[in-house]
Parts: sequence; structure tokens; C-alpha cells
Amino acid sequence: MMDLATEVLAGGVRGGTSILFAGLGETISERAGVVNLGTEGNLLVGALAGYAVASTTGSPWAGVIAGAVAGGMLSAIHAYFVLDRKTNQLATGLVVLFLALGLTSMFGVAYIKATINPFEALTIPGLSSIPFLGPVLFDQTILTYLVYVLVPATWWLLFRSRWGVVLRAAGERSNVLATYGHHVLPVQYLAVIGGGMLAGIGGAQLSTAYTNAWYENMTQGRGFIAVAVVIFAGREPFKVAAGSLLFGAALALAPALQARGIGINQFALDVVPYVLTIVVLVVFGKRMAAQQPEGLKKVFEGAPAG
Amino acid sequence: MTVTPTPPATSPAADDSTTVTDPTVEDVLVPAVPAEEPDAVDDRWLRALRVTGRTIAAILGALAIFGVVMAMKGANPLNAFAEMITTTFSSPKAVGEIFIRGAPIILAALAVTVPARAGLINVGGEGQLVIGGVAAAGVSLALGTGASPGLAMALMIMAALVAGALWAGLAAALRLWVGINESVTTLLMNYIALDFMLFLIYDPWKDRQGSGQPATPAIPVGERLPLIGTSRVHMGIAIALIATAAVWLVFKKTSWGFRLGVVGGNAEAARRAGLRVGVLLLSAMAVGGALAGLGGFVQLAGTEFKLRPGFLVTYGYIGFLASWLAKHRPVPVLLSALLLSAIAIGGDSLQLDSKLPAASVNILMALLLLAVFGFSKSKKAMTA
Amino acid sequence: MPRRRIGPLLATAIAVALLAAACGTNQTPQEAVASGGTAAGGAAPGQGATKVGFIFVGPKDDYGYNQAAYEGSQAVAKKFPNIEVLTAENVPEDDNATRTMESMISKGATIIFATSYGHLDPAMKVAAANPNVVVVQQGNLIKGPILPNTGTYFGTVYEPVFLAGIAAGKSTKTNKLGYVYAFPIPQTIANINAFELGAKSVNPQAQTYVVNTSNWCDPGKQSEAAKSLISQGVDVISQHQDCTATITKEAEAAGIKVVGYHADASSLAPNGWLTGSEWRWSDMFIDIVQTSIDGKFTGSKYNANFRVGYKSPADQGKNPFDQSKFGPSVDDATKAAIEKAKADIMSANGSPFKGPIKAQDGTELFPAGVPADYATIEDKNTVFVEGVVGQIPKS
Repeated sequence: MMDLATEVLAGGVRGGTSILFAGLGETISERAGVVNLGTEGNLLVGALAGYAVASTTGSPWAGVIAGAVAGGMLSAIHAYFVLDRKTNQLATGLVVLFLALGLTSMFGVAYIKATINPFEALTIPGLSSIPFLGPVLFDQTILTYLVYVLVPATWWLLFRSRWGVVLRAAGERSNVLATYGHHVLPVQYLAVIGGGMLAGIGGAQLSTAYTNAWYENMTQGRGFIAVAVVIFAGREPFKVAAGSLLFGAALALAPALQARGIGINQFALDVVPYVLTIVVLVVFGKRMAAQQPEGLKKVFEGAPAG
Repeated sequence: MTVTPTPPATSPAADDSTTVTDPTVEDVLVPAVPAEEPDAVDDRWLRALRVTGRTIAAILGALAIFGVVMAMKGANPLNAFAEMITTTFSSPKAVGEIFIRGAPIILAALAVTVPARAGLINVGGEGQLVIGGVAAAGVSLALGTGASPGLAMALMIMAALVAGALWAGLAAALRLWVGINESVTTLLMNYIALDFMLFLIYDPWKDRQGSGQPATPAIPVGERLPLIGTSRVHMGIAIALIATAAVWLVFKKTSWGFRLGVVGGNAEAARRAGLRVGVLLLSAMAVGGALAGLGGFVQLAGTEFKLRPGFLVTYGYIGFLASWLAKHRPVPVLLSALLLSAIAIGGDSLQLDSKLPAASVNILMALLLLAVFGFSKSKKAMTA
Repeated sequence: MPRRRIGPLLATAIAVALLAAACGTNQTPQEAVASGGTAAGGAAPGQGATKVGFIFVGPKDDYGYNQAAYEGSQAVAKKFPNIEVLTAENVPEDDNATRTMESMISKGATIIFATSYGHLDPAMKVAAANPNVVVVQQGNLIKGPILPNTGTYFGTVYEPVFLAGIAAGKSTKTNKLGYVYAFPIPQTIANINAFELGAKSVNPQAQTYVVNTSNWCDPGKQSEAAKSLISQGVDVISQHQDCTATITKEAEAAGIKVVGYHADASSLAPNGWLTGSEWRWSDMFIDIVQTSIDGKFTGSKYNANFRVGYKSPADQGKNPFDQSKFGPSVDDATKAAIEKAKADIMSANGSPFKGPIKAQDGTELFPAGVPADYATIEDKNTVFVEGVVGQIPKS
């Protein structure tokens, strides 16, 4: 039997994994100046493509790749309209989400009954016997371990690599970047599509590692949670990880309490991370606003009001 | 309300770094108020014709893509389109369904339109609808069955308006005084509103005499919107039409509406001209929220009678898209909201006639929106 | 620009016209009946029907509730080759369901099956607006007076759930059983209580731990609920969810036993499957359709259990549910115990809710010696019985 804290945090890591994949993807995209409000759609297409390909090929890894491809393709549509056709990012993100809802509904029917070889939890010898941290962090599926690596990797990519400088410049000072002879659009395309691929993997994690099932609309708002997490974290990968754990733990607390005979209104818990996000914004709002990529200010604040 | 003009130092609207200096900024957003182009009339007509042609081509392309997708799933696209149109428009009853679903969407769309005139982005229609419904239901619960129906309904409407205004106004206040983007806060507050409603209907407000499902008791018959004739269309559509006309009138004829447009055009210039930008932004958002709150009342009193878990889910986002589709102009907003509502209803036909999942209709809606968003701007507007 | 003014003026004019036209009262049918409302005249509802509509809240392949109802609809299609069966999946439990049913009616359907609990209000609206259409609602939730063209049907599924509880009680080593449910509606609470009572009848130590997900189908929450229960030492798990695959697979992966619900999911848990309760709607659906076509539908509450048929005692054995097949680990002694219990339930005055039964708080729920009828069972099952661990979200 596990103590409550261990169980809730382990559940938070497990349930937060898909949110974290999507959150890292959104972070990269936003750093390049493009918001994707339709991250929920990337999760959905990733979940379906992952499950469908895993069931057809028998390999969950093929499913993960398919999830990434599907997420990337969906974001490519977003990127084309936002970057080439200059459409509004928030509205386009929502449209792309509805597109994903429709596509996964139409093509997902055939896979509801399918079965797959899911990712199983992989206990890491040694590390998993560390008290408390072991069962929380090192008794997870390999996709969760992958995301552990991706958090510092994303940070390094954004803040320590040359590529990251160019990417952030695309989001902040695109005219400066252009002055130095860089093409801004390809960088932004790469960031948006790459971000979409990460969210697609998050979706595949949901279907092939977390729930072992595909159902229409099974993401149940986790993509929107990812968008909130990125706001909460001010687009910093490590804080995105912390935020995902927080949201994941809020989802895991209710069943853990109930299994111990304690009644709880789930929605009193669900609301906490959102309220906390607003509180964080109010407290650190000015600093976070200052750190926001220039490109995003334009999106969020609307050009006319400046 | 006495709000002093926000000092430039704390207002993001006055923050130099966000002022429109870079011409590409205009391209990121479709301007809330389309700028008059100073060219010759002939030229303008020619260009308008070209843009219209391209838009129509894009819409036809969207329909063709959806046809191919349907064919991939074994449906006959031509039959499917024909059935969708006949099912949705063939009878007065069917058309009535567009109004029933459309009424809250129109109000949710206007909730985006009014703030957009002042350059604000309200992504929070979803939450403002819910909070309006919650407020109206709360008043109905508090009054019980003894209250006079007319008074009860008036109080419910007031509560919905005020709740929506406060909910959205909070987002505007946070922007003015703390500097958080209203699009971020309105988005986050959608979930808070939804969770708040779910909390209430699962526990404190749950119908004790009900079937055990999470829902409030039905509001008394006297507190419901009357039906139009013998149809099942309720007065919500009339409320939505009046609201549309009112917003149009306010935009065209009142100085408040005019000032909103000035702020939306250039906040800094508006400030230098002595306009109280803070008050204008706050009031624009509050009015928007009040309209969405009214939408929540309309859905409660006209259609659902109870708060349920799925109460108005996605209606706010569809309203958001309807406003963008109409470039934030009140009368086109009315039409685009009804159009999006008709498309959603077309899903019934897809399911019943073409054996495709009802939600596939979202593909059609998305493709049409992308076509209009992406291909209805003149080249000049895109490269300016 | 005078052209621009036409739109809003027109809008106002239309709105005023609509206001003037408003006269109908926005009543639900139950209220209409209660206030002495109208009944249908002319031909009997559903008579000579050529199209039958079914709406489902979820997908037809969910290894669960909707799959069972869908299979029933296909049995109707097979039995009546001249009748067209219209089906709509993923129909939300709000007014959009009203529209979908109206759409079916406009396409000629004169018998409508609304198969989810949450479709009750929309179904009643549709029934009131279409007195010539039979509208039946799954779940036996209609209370009080009902319109002559409406009916409700269900089954006392807690009886096979009680029998499955015996298998669970015999199987558990930890004496901890788990039950994942969606909403605390009486039907669900009756199932949980029957499950615990069945287990306790063969294993007095057995306790049932309950977790709710507040959603008929959120696989993520299901997974988390199952893991929480398993981490508490639960070694047999059951559920009342619409989609059942996630929890079934989760149990199999964890090496614990699983009791199914709604439909046969034994293929998903070849080792852990004990047994379960499955709906078999075909006979009842066919009967409802036949009764309507013949012009004999009069508005009725369908009900059924092992003891009596759903219309008259002569129909004994025609139940809308089956006990699922047994899994490999169920031994002969357990099977014999279940057979015996089944015979008891089918005997006169037999019931899973045979007193004395105490509620969680120790008060007496069903007194000894008084056989409980269906209505009493439904009324009393708003609280958990002794042996269930967990709280109902307050109501």
C-alpha cells in the first residue's frame, strides 16, 4: 500500500505526462511567437494516430511516431494559416481544434474496438528504491522517462543553443533577425510543427501508455490544461514540468482520497490549478509580461489597442 | 463608476514596447475595425471583386476537400451535401432549430464583438455564458416557487447580466491594473466558471428530487421564456436579435461606441486626445460579458431549464469564431453565428443520412472558417 | 449608406414580430400531464411504424452500455426487415438530443429509443411535441404521471450483479473489492450495494471500495481510479462506466480479477475475467416495437428481473440481461454457490435485497422478513450498505 503523497504525486507524474509533452511543444511554439490554442486537437490526433498505428503494426513505438507525425501535420496547417495567410492565431488555433475533433471522430470509429500492446510501467532498478522519489518518478512508462529528458533538452535548446537564440529572436525581434540575414518564417514553421509533434506524442502517450484505449474526445480538456500550464510557467520548460505535475496531481488526488473512503467534490480540486495560475499571474504578472516574446504581445493584446 | 485614466506606466496599452510601430503587427491580427483604404473607388471595386472571387474559390475548395474526406469513408458527397441542406432548411421546424441553437451563440459572439471594437480579445465567452446561467439559476433557486414569475425573470436577467459583466470585467481590471493580457485571463476563467458550475450541480445545488444525475431542479414554468407560436423556438432568438440591433446602434450612434472605435484604432492617440481609455476598456469588456451572461440566461430559461454538466460547452468558442468570421461587425456577426449553428445542425443529417459520425461536421465548419480567414484578405492588407 | 441600415432595422422588426407572436408555454410533458394537459387523439402512437430511431450517448463499440443498446437496435433491424433503423451515436445529454430526435421524426421515425439516463428530459420534450410518436427511455427514471406515448424500460440488473459479487467475494484474497462508478444515481448505487451484498454472502470480510469519475467515459480518470484502488490492495475490480475497456485492461495488466458490466469484455482480460452482467436488449426492444406497430402501445413501465418477465409472469425468463460467462479462475464451488443464489432470487420473495440489511451508518435499510419490491429497492438505494467503503457525493 502506498501512502497518499506518494500515490498522488506518482499519479500526477503519470497523468501529467501528456500535459507536459503538449506544454513543452506549446512552449517552443510560443517562444517562436506563435500561440496554439488548439493543443487539445494535437493531443486528439496524436491519441488516435498512436492507437490506430499501434494496433495495426503491433508496435507502440510505431504509434508514438505516428502520433508525432499527426500532431506535426495538424500544426503545419496552423502554421500555414498563421504565418503565410496571416490569420489570427487564437481564432485559427480554435478552428484547427474543431478540425481535429471532426477528423478524429470520423476516422476514429474504426479503432474503438481495436487492441494494442501498450507501454507498460518500467521500474528502473536502483533508482526506484529511493524512498518516496523512487515510486513517484521511476515506476513509470518509458514515455514518461522520455519527457524527463525532454524538459532539460528543451531548456537547453531554447536558452543555450544557437538554434534557440534564432528561435527566440523569431518570436521577439523578427525584424532584427531578418536584418542579420536569417529567414524568419522557416524558423517559425519548424518551431510550430515541432511543438505540434511533441503534443502529438503526448496524445499517443494518453492512448498507448496511460489509458490503453481510444475513444472520441478522450482527451477531455487536457490540451487546454497544457495551454494554461504554459501560461502558469511563463514559457520556461522546468516550470512547465512543475505545472504539469501540479495539474496532474489535482486530477489524481480525488480518486486517491476516495479509495481511502474520503468523499470529495472533484471540481473543488480541479479548479485549484487555474486559480493558482491567475494568482501567479497577478503576483508575478508584470515581470512575466515583460519576459513575454514580443510576437506574442501582438497576438494576445491585439494590434489596435497596442 | 469612477475610474481615473490609467497612468501610462502601469497600462500595457501605453507600454511603448507594445505600441504599434512595426508594420507587420497589423498582419498578425485581422484588424478589429477594417481600415479605410485611401485608394480610388474603381481600384477598390476591382480589388474587392478579386478578393471575393478568391474567397469563393477557397470556400468551394473547402467543400471539395470535405467531399473527398466523406468519400474516403464511403459516403456519397453530393448526396450528403444535398441531404444536409434539405434536412437543415426544408421545414420551418428545422429552421427553428437553427434559432434555438443560434440564440446563445449570437450573444456569445457579440460578447467578442464589443470588446474587439476597443481592441480587446475576449476568449472567455465560454465561461461568461456559464456564469450567466449559474447566476440566473441561483436567483431562481433562491426565490423558490413562490415568487411572481415576471419579477423572478427580471431578477434572473439582471443577475445574468451582472454576473457576466463582473466575470469579464475582472479580466479587464487585471489587464488595467496588473498588466495581464485579457485573452489569457478570460481563457483561464472559462475553466474556473465551468468547474464552479460543476461543483454546484454535483453538491450544493443538486436536485434532491431528481434522478441522482448532477443537475439543478428545473426552473418553474413561469420563469421560462415563452415559445413563439406553436413551435419549440423560444424568445431567446428575439432577445439575440434585439441585442444585435442594440450593439449596432451603439456602435453607430453613441459617443461611447465611437470612442471604443477610437481606442481600438490607436489607444495612445485616444489617450492624448483625452479619452479615458481605462474606463472605456473596462466598460467594453463588461458589456461583452453581460451579453454572454444574457446568453447563459437564454439557454437556461429557453432551452435547458436546468444546469447540467454539458451546459453550453463549446458554444462560447463557436461564438468567438463567429465574431472573427464577421470581422467583428454586429449584423454580419448575427449571420455568421446562425451559419455556424446551421452547420453544426447539419451533423444530424451526416449521421442519419450518410452514416458518418455527427461530429464529422466539425471538419466542414473548420475548413470553411479556414477558407474565409485565410483567403478573404486583399494582398495589400497582407503585405502592407 | 442607407443599405447598411437595413440589417439592424430588419433584425429589430423581426424581433418585435416574434415578441408579438409569442404565446406558447414552455412546459415539459410531465408538467403538462400534471396540470391536466392533452393526450393524443386518433391513431395509436407508433402504429404501423416504418422507421425506428435510436440515440446513444456514446460510441456503439464501447465494450459497454452503448454497445449493448446498439446490439439491441440491430436485433430490431434484423427482426423487422421492412423497418428502417436510424441510429445516432455520441448524442449529448442536453437539448441537442431533442433536436437529433426531432430530426429522426422528420425523417419518418415514429418510434424513438432514448437510451441514456441523461436523455430523459429531451425525450420527454420530444414526446410532448409528437403525440403520434412512441418515445421510450432507458433507465426507468420517469417518475409520476407519464404521457400515453411515452414509456420507460430497464431491468433489475442488480440481480446478476449480486451473483457476480459472489464470484468476487470468493475470489478475493485481500477482502478488498473495488468499484469505479460515474454518478451516484439510484441504479448505480443499487448495483454497488448488490455487489457488496453478494460478496458478503459468501465472504463476511469482503468490503467494496468505491471511486467515482463524474463522467460516463473519461479513460484518463478511469485509469487513475483503477490505479488508486489497486494501490489500496483491491484485488477484484468492477465498474459502472459506459466505456469499460480501460479499467478491464488495467486490471488484467495488474494481475487482479475483474467483473464486467454492460457487455462481454472477457477477451480483454483472458486471465482476470471472473464474470459480469450483460444487457441483452433484443427481445425487449423487439417487443416494444411490435407492440407499437400493432397499435397497442399505451405507455407503460417495462421492468424485469429473474423472477417475473417484463410484462407478465408468463414472460418469466425473458430478461434484458445475462450473466456473463465465467473466467478460467472461477472454480466449481463458486459456480455452485452462484447457481444456488440464482435459484433463491428466482424463488417467491427472493431478492438480493433481502433484509435485514444495514446502511453504512448502521441504520436499518431493509428490515428482515419483508420482501422488497422494485419500487422500494429503487427508493432505498440512495445510500451505500454496510461494507461499502466510500462516500456518496452529498445530495
